Amino acid sequence: MIRHFVSPLLLRAGLRHHTRHRWQAALMLAGVMMGVAVVVAVDLANAAASASFARSASQLRGAATHRLIGTQGYLPQTLYTALLTTPGHPPMAPVISTRVRVEGMQERFRLVGIDLFAERSMHRDTGSTISGFDRLRTWLTRPGVVVLSTSAADHLGVTIGDVLKVDHQGRPAALEILDVDDDDSLASRDLLVADIATAQALSAMHGDISHIDLILDTEAEAWLKERLPGWARLLSVDEQTQGIVGLSAAFELNLTAMSLLALLVGAFLIFNALSLSIVQRRNLLGRLRALGVTDTQIHRLILAEAVALGIVGTLLGSVLGIALGQGLTTLVAATVSELYYDVPADALQLNAWSLAKGALLGLGGTVLAAWFPAAQAARTPPLTTLSRAALEQSIRQRLPRLAIAGGILMAAGLLLAFEFPGGVLAGFAGLFVMLLGAALLTPLALRLLHRALDRLPLGGIRRMAVRDLDRHLSRLGTAAAALMVALSAGVGVAVMVESMRGAVSGWLGDLLSADLYIASEAFADGATLPRSIVTQATRLAPVSAASLYRNRSLYSDNRRITLVAADLAPQSRTGFRFVAQTDGDVWQRFDRGELLISEPFAHRLQLRAGESLRLPTPAGDVEFPVAAVFRDYASEHGRVFIARPHYRDHWSDTAVNTVALFSDRNAAVLLQAARVQFAAEDGLVFTAARAIHDESMAVFDRTFRITEALRLLSLLVAFAGILSALMAVQLERRKEFAVLRALGLTRWQLSRLIVVESVLIGLLAALVAIPVGLLMAWVLTAAIQLRAFGWSMPFLISASPLWSALVLGAGAAFLAALYPAWRASVDDPAPQLREA
Amino acid sequence: MWRLCLMLIVMLAACEQPTPPARQAAQATVQIGQRMGAEPDPGFARATVPRPFEFPADHGAHPAYATEWWYFTGNLHSDDGARFGYQLTLFRIGLTPDPAADDSDWRTGQIYMGHLAVSDLERRLHHSRERFSRAAVGLAGAQSDPLRVWLGPWSIEGEPGDPFPVRLDAADSDMAIALTLERGNRPLVLQGERGLSRKGDSPGNASYYYSYTRLPTRGEIRIENRQYRVSGNSWFDREWSSSALATDQAGWDWFALQLDDGRDLMFYRLRGKDGAAQRFSSGVLVDTDGTTHTLSLDSVQAVPMRTWQDEDGVAYPVAWHLSIPQHALDLNIEAAFDEQAMRHTVHYWEGAVVVSGSHSGVGYLELSGYVE
Repeated sequence: MIRHFVSPLLLRAGLRHHTRHRWQAALMLAGVMMGVAVVVAVDLANAAASASFARSASQLRGAATHRLIGTQGYLPQTLYTALLTTPGHPPMAPVISTRVRVEGMQERFRLVGIDLFAERSMHRDTGSTISGFDRLRTWLTRPGVVVLSTSAADHLGVTIGDVLKVDHQGRPAALEILDVDDDDSLASRDLLVADIATAQALSAMHGDISHIDLILDTEAEAWLKERLPGWARLLSVDEQTQGIVGLSAAFELNLTAMSLLALLVGAFLIFNALSLSIVQRRNLLGRLRALGVTDTQIHRLILAEAVALGIVGTLLGSVLGIALGQGLTTLVAATVSELYYDVPADALQLNAWSLAKGALLGLGGTVLAAWFPAAQAARTPPLTTLSRAALEQSIRQRLPRLAIAGGILMAAGLLLAFEFPGGVLAGFAGLFVMLLGAALLTPLALRLLHRALDRLPLGGIRRMAVRDLDRHLSRLGTAAAALMVALSAGVGVAVMVESMRGAVSGWLGDLLSADLYIASEAFADGATLPRSIVTQATRLAPVSAASLYRNRSLYSDNRRITLVAADLAPQSRTGFRFVAQTDGDVWQRFDRGELLISEPFAHRLQLRAGESLRLPTPAGDVEFPVAAVFRDYASEHGRVFIARPHYRDHWSDTAVNTVALFSDRNAAVLLQAARVQFAAEDGLVFTAARAIHDESMAVFDRTFRITEALRLLSLLVAFAGILSALMAVQLERRKEFAVLRALGLTRWQLSRLIVVESVLIGLLAALVAIPVGLLMAWVLTAAIQLRAFGWSMPFLISASPLWSALVLGAGAAFLAALYPAWRASVDDPAPQLREA
Repeated sequence: MWRLCLMLIVMLAACEQPTPPARQAAQATVQIGQRMGAEPDPGFARATVPRPFEFPADHGAHPAYATEWWYFTGNLHSDDGARFGYQLTLFRIGLTPDPAADDSDWRTGQIYMGHLAVSDLERRLHHSRERFSRAAVGLAGAQSDPLRVWLGPWSIEGEPGDPFPVRLDAADSDMAIALTLERGNRPLVLQGERGLSRKGDSPGNASYYYSYTRLPTRGEIRIENRQYRVSGNSWFDREWSSSALATDQAGWDWFALQLDDGRDLMFYRLRGKDGAAQRFSSGVLVDTDGTTHTLSLDSVQAVPMRTWQDEDGVAYPVAWHLSIPQHALDLNIEAAFDEQAMRHTVHYWEGAVVVSGSHSGVGYLELSGYVE
């Protein structure tokens, strides 16, 4: 087939060039390879995380199509009994789901309580290991027995008959392992399955269950809806998983964007390398044209080369990507586990779609990157005697056009990111277009910077290097642009992370204004404080003011709403930063029963201050006006604050999860007083605001480790690019170097010339990368974070990412120059001169 | 009738079969059957001597015993002559004689199993369904006065005091019964020795067992999408025990026949592993005035005449010749149609039969222990 596309003779001529320039070919390959590898690796890691989630979710779901939940977060078990004893009921299964801490383990475990007989109708494997009458009897009648999967047992280091010491909301309990499921149908590493009675006793959900799973067709759905009380909500499985999957979708999108960035850098490299090879071959191409080879044939030749390169590079890249994916999966799993749900780190599975995506992007990227150089080659006039100088001249002439195109692309990208509807995807698309535009602007920017550099009073080799650079910009331009893209991505992400970090830290500081917080050890699991402790705490001698918080999950219109009912002391109130509010005094309105909603929540529901929000109360839905929107990074889903007296009236709930204490005296005195007062109480944690702050920031930093890893990867790709470009240039300049040597330049001076030139390129690229990176950070924070999470944040720029861009740029260029410099210095100049 | 045997033998056999994947979910419950094969927990009470029955209390559950059931079968016909059979059985299975821990409302030592079947004798349609539930949070249970035994939406409900008329309600996608059973003019029959029905040599290998052999029944029956107004007679067996199967016993052939001359005949043929009838086989013939005549193995000749194989290849003797010379009975008993196998956790054949020969009539036949 390829014969029809391009003649074999031509192809051989093309190949010959590459065998003569092996290094260059290898580096071109490296560009494709690295790009594809990063895309494949990230995709595999993402796929592994979501597959593992989907698997564990579907195991627990079985054939269920719907889930019935209560607006208050639980259902009375009488509803299940009423439905099950009604003729014509659809298949259904009651579930009690909770989380426990296992002694000695960091993460929390899911404890799912099931009714074995009902599971049968759901076609689920859950509990299938309970076989034999004795086992069944033990399962049903003995409190505190569980089964778990082999992976969970390995993870915990336990076996049948062992007893797990667990803690549920501060209450200790012992769970005996009745069985370990060999066939590992419960792949989840963090899952304990118990009889529903055991789960109910452990979670103290007396009289209640978590939800009911159902298999419904249209008719059964109608049947059920007729019988549902107002406080029950029916969710389809899709709706129900959406919430959880949505959590990680933003995370995955971030990763994917980073991997595409790596590919973009890779595409630049291909473009760069191919352009170079065309420049090198311009005489050959000119002769071919003179011999009657048409421009179309030349165009095809170069494209065929690119495709060949793309195929080999993609294959190698896929292999490398799989290897890289192993490591990345561990990293992604760790992050996802920390943030969302437990994912075993060893869950990497090759999936064809990830590989296909990598191949498509690798080949497509190569061909796209090759298109312009191929067209350029096709335009080579017959028997060209076009001098290098003329070529540089023509490229220089094109710079303004390139720059204008770049400027237009940047503007379009920004418009897309900020103004175009289409969510996070539009934001990222805008970011890429903007970055592409910036890359096109880079050669011009380099020239301008170079001119400025030229005015500096430099002498000797350095002056030579600066002057020399100007002549090579055509070839080094693309390599510099690739480096610029990689460096700017680094700057952009670092500044974004830093802005976020600053915002989160500041927000924590505002919100955690109290001197001491008292909560149950199992606060994160929703444990409440005994009333006596709340009273005693607020009456401690050094206490000048106290805030009480009650956290609740409510379900409304298929959404989970985190409701915080709070008695806020004046000191706590000053911690709120409102981004939008109604007229008048927000706090007066709050005290009258109006709501404060967090920014992500407002964003998610498209809700503004002054509008109202319907919340499910035990007596039915009630509309609450929204007094203000406050800045909040507590969760992607957002929170709603209500004054506790009004919460108590509507929900008849007086529980308190956290007490925040303020003191006019030293915080240490307060802590001491609390310790003495509650010396006899187990399961309480006393935390100073500082500790919460530090812990939160530690979590934050762990979350962004992965970003750091990807940043380094794209830098590595750029490094390969600059190395290949420099190598090509130096190899081509051997004759020139020989002349320089003959004119008296020492080996050392020649090496220095090469290294200085290279470092200059790196520095120039970094200088361009800094403003582009800042622009990128701005798009990331102001457009993408807002679109993805509804988080707005002040833009913080610190010096360190900017410095590190300069250091990395110069450093990468320095390293890349070492080998060419060494080569140039060891070459014997004599043969080169003779040849001339 | 000692259906414990049925449960036990067939369940045991079922357990030994390789479990196809589709049935894996049911595995747990299949294994309930194992319990019936094993010696029950010694903490359970045993039926060793005749006891005075007290009603309505004895219509309710006896959790001191391991196993118990409320067993209804009947032959019904619609106004235009279409004939039907039905079976509704609720089994109580005690997991432990000890009171359940009180840590949760869902905790219980009692589970219920239910079998519902409807046969359309003309169209040769047979549908059956099985349910299981724990006897907690109102999902299943039994009370004596007023009689109420229920398993999910399936229920047996009586009036305060005298349970009759008793109402049976049970439905599934393919079938439904809504029947009212009157007491009629037959007295309650205590089986065996004043209600103590021996099943083997060892003491305690017996059950407490009483029957209502002919309960005038009317109501509605649905099979697939067709609804019928029906009337006819039902048979109601009550039995509880903590016995185990003797090692040499294989299964069970049980006849419950309502003859057109007004007499009712029950006979169970305990089958050894050698296929021969065992000496604890026994029965009762009830005259129209309620007089009972006990039948021992010697007085009854039961010969299988024809077998039929179900989809699993299990061969059931669905036609019998029964002769009781002492009472001038020479009966040919033939399945109303063959396809009435119950293929659930327990595999057995239970279906409507037609009686001809010296006397005509209808009845129900139950064949257990035929699964290899």
